[in-house]
Amino acid sequence: MTSTDRDNLMLPARGIGYRVFTVLVAVWMTVVVCVGILGHISNLPILEHTARNLYFHVPMWFTLMLGWFVTAYHSLRLLVTRRRIHDVRAEQAALVATVFGVLGLTTGIVWARFTWYMGTNIWWNGDPRQVMVTVQLLICGAYFVLRGALDDERQRARLAAVYALFATVTMPFLMYVLPRRMESLHPGAEGNPAFSQMDIAPEMRWVFYAAAVGFLMLFWWIYTLRVRVRAAEIRVSELADWP
Amino acid sequence: MQAALDTLSAVRDTAIALLDADAAQQAPQGIERVMLAADKLPVVLVVVLIIWFGLLFLLFRTDRRINRIEKELNESAFGA
Repeated sequence: MTSTDRDNLMLPARGIGYRVFTVLVAVWMTVVVCVGILGHISNLPILEHTARNLYFHVPMWFTLMLGWFVTAYHSLRLLVTRRRIHDVRAEQAALVATVFGVLGLTTGIVWARFTWYMGTNIWWNGDPRQVMVTVQLLICGAYFVLRGALDDERQRARLAAVYALFATVTMPFLMYVLPRRMESLHPGAEGNPAFSQMDIAPEMRWVFYAAAVGFLMLFWWIYTLRVRVRAAEIRVSELADWP
Repeated sequence: MQAALDTLSAVRDTAIALLDADAAQQAPQGIERVMLAADKLPVVLVVVLIIWFGLLFLLFRTDRRINRIEKELNESAFGA
């Protein structure tokens, strides 16, 4: 493979399949939000209607995980093939995923404030689950700091790829292993909450699965969109250097 | 007899104090007056809005990027 091939950022034009996918995501998410807000659920004390946040808050974390797995995959591919497009894909997946992670933390703080901490005026009480995901988000954020600190494009791609692999490896520990070994107010500290048969009412289960799939598809749309824009931006900036 | 009455009134005072505390907890103050209304449905609204603002953030950033591409194209030999 020549270096020109490696640097090539040309992406194939999107076909009808992609257009169908984007329309599907739009319709799917509209239905999820409507059913999530209007569908019938049992009114439990403390939780009340906030149980509906399950459809919106939990998929944020699934998306953070998927996004960083995409970043890790392309980082690995970059280290093996040195193809520039993998650097673009890794960076964009990391950015979109981290935004979803920040949304997960923010929505979690609001949810906890009016359930766990109702009547106490506490927004943050050092719950292990929240502290651990904050540490994870800082690890994710450092990826962009590292990228910003390096000027040479090839060096940046390589170092960022190695760091991205590290950031992805810490994720299961900080988000799943450690919080479950400590006392937390967060539900699902025992076993595997997302797929447990006991923790979720049958009428909520399918909405929750649909919401999770919907947000993952939405991630994919935003991520591919940003990759296309970023690749085009680099290509155009290199065109402009020509006389 | 008097001792027994004193004990009873002490128990009553404690009960009243506990009920008052309970009542104080049931009358939400400040932001909770809004957020706990309608079976806490506003909490769901805020969560959905936060996600919407996050998506808007990504939308704005992508928009800026397209702007830059357009500018570069306009200024290059390929523009005009």
